[in-house]
Amino acid sequence: MRIFVIPGVVAAFSLAVIWVALQLDVSPPLIVGDSMQPRVFPILLMVINLVLAAFLVIQYRKSPPPKVPWEGFQTWGSVVLFAIFFPLTVYIDMMIAIAVVMFVMCFLWGERRLHVAAAVAVITPAAIFFLFDLVLRVRFPRGLLTNWYYG
Amino acid sequence: MIEALQAMASVVLDPYLIVLILLTTIMGVVIGVLPGLGATTGAALLLPFTLTMEPVHAIAVLATIYVSATFAGSITAILINTPGTAAAAATTFDGYPLAKRGEAGRALGIAVISSTFGGVFSVIVLCIAAPVLARVAYEFRPPEYFALALFGLSMLASISAGGAVRNLIGGVFGVWLATIGVERTTGVERFMFGNYELYEGLSFVPVFIGLFALSELLVQSKRVNEVVDAITLKAVKLPTREDYKRIWKTVLRSCGIGTFIGVLPAEGATVASMIGYSEARRWSKNKEEFGKGAIEGIAGAESANNAATGGAMVPTMVLGIPGSGTTAVILVGLMVHGLRPGPYLFTEQVDKVYQIFGAMLLANIVFMAMGLYAAKLFARISLIPLQILWPIVFALAVIGAYALSSSLLDVWIALIFGVIGFLARRHGFAVAPIAVGLILGEMVETNFQNSLKMFEGDWWRILTQPLAAMFLFFAVLGLFGSSIVSGISRLRSKAD
Repeated sequence: MRIFVIPGVVAAFSLAVIWVALQLDVSPPLIVGDSMQPRVFPILLMVINLVLAAFLVIQYRKSPPPKVPWEGFQTWGSVVLFAIFFPLTVYIDMMIAIAVVMFVMCFLWGERRLHVAAAVAVITPAAIFFLFDLVLRVRFPRGLLTNWYYG
Repeated sequence: MIEALQAMASVVLDPYLIVLILLTTIMGVVIGVLPGLGATTGAALLLPFTLTMEPVHAIAVLATIYVSATFAGSITAILINTPGTAAAAATTFDGYPLAKRGEAGRALGIAVISSTFGGVFSVIVLCIAAPVLARVAYEFRPPEYFALALFGLSMLASISAGGAVRNLIGGVFGVWLATIGVERTTGVERFMFGNYELYEGLSFVPVFIGLFALSELLVQSKRVNEVVDAITLKAVKLPTREDYKRIWKTVLRSCGIGTFIGVLPAEGATVASMIGYSEARRWSKNKEEFGKGAIEGIAGAESANNAATGGAMVPTMVLGIPGSGTTAVILVGLMVHGLRPGPYLFTEQVDKVYQIFGAMLLANIVFMAMGLYAAKLFARISLIPLQILWPIVFALAVIGAYALSSSLLDVWIALIFGVIGFLARRHGFAVAPIAVGLILGEMVETNFQNSLKMFEGDWWRILTQPLAAMFLFFAVLGLFGSSIVSGISRLRSKAD
């Protein structure tokens, strides 16, 4: 069963893309001329991927892929932090979001000295912020801190 | 030629550029010694910092990161048996055993000298080969570019990480990513789902930051509890006359191998170092020493991986086809800074091109000095706890993704591709093919469309163009070459 999981995901994705591509607008022949409709190229690519997925099944039947051990909480916790970063940035502030994620990530990965984790989480985003703001002239999205800083 | 030499020499007259190369070499070596943070990740993270620089300075920074990080991977490979970059994996085979015998200084000395020789050799080849190839590339029309891009994609089948089929799936996925946005000829929106920030397609930089930096963060999270067994280093020792006698043939051979492998689209320093190492073993009189601390093994791997850096810049700058994952980032850097890669770069902005080559040459010399005199210090940096290092990388990654076009969408793209890259790697798929596919995607589609227009819809007439047919033949060879060779050898063994 395991041998079908990855090829199955590839095939399902390819079929989904083909379905979406088939819904794309058709361009008038006058514009397309001797070339191809915009939907053709992505469909062609996904057909190639379907063929490759079939090859992958054959390959996996000969030598099944090794069972991937489930990662620890550090890995999946970090993925969750990626997801949390989104609402924090949109609803509070990007710099605060970075600091929070950095602090929790330090702790999650095993840093038990809270003052070290806090220092890393505060100094790094602050240093990067000032570098980008003052030297590279990049404006960051509005939020709690940036509203106060930009005025 | 004289103009080119003048442009290269002008690098040493630009104090700002020299300071920049010095600082970037330090940064590159630091990136190279930190396990997980290779040249590609380093270049992707630093690209946004180059935004306000002049084009030559910006590309010089990225190229310097490339050469110095490729070398620096050997420091940790020798001292802690952990290659700082994938390209230094072959260096561990003999570097670490030699260091365990108490000869860490000698091992590092050989690595530094071989890397410098490989790097300088490849830059010289780059200076000679690139303009020649550019003259040939002037004749290229859409069919040739289409075939060339297909050849580049077919080479994904032979890169080491991941299997051939998995690499090709990644490559095709990357090409599909390039179709997101508005189709230029017809104005039809493709896969945008109403998001007008995707009008011009996916930005390369956030995708690369996600694929290389953030996916690596998730991979490294599995290593937090690993205990590193470090070897103490007193000082780096320059090779003796006897050492030189033993390694010079290996170094020369690996320089040739590395440069050639580097020139091939999508191949890179990792493949070069593996082949350099195995060839060093094949030609050595002391085969039994390999794996136990043979200096030819270190020299073979190190000169090959650094020779690949200059080689990989040839297709990148002349044809716009990345020679490796890191040159894919450099290619994006060229585009971001308004230097359109291709043969015309060598007529319209030749002075800039040679200044970049000059900067690469200088970087090779600077990292030699650093390798010889500061390797001990850099080796200590590799012991920075992962729980401190990777949250910092996270901050650099998200701000870097945002900075290029001040778009929050780019941050989400980076985070999403971080997870996609991690899941792909978790199941044995390499991420470099996705990056290469994304870069080559537009080239494949646009040139295929233009070829169809040229031949009034008869796609098969592409095969009637000699150069295009040759590239397509090589593409088929790249896809099925290894199967054909193994099939023939199986038939032969049956016949015997």
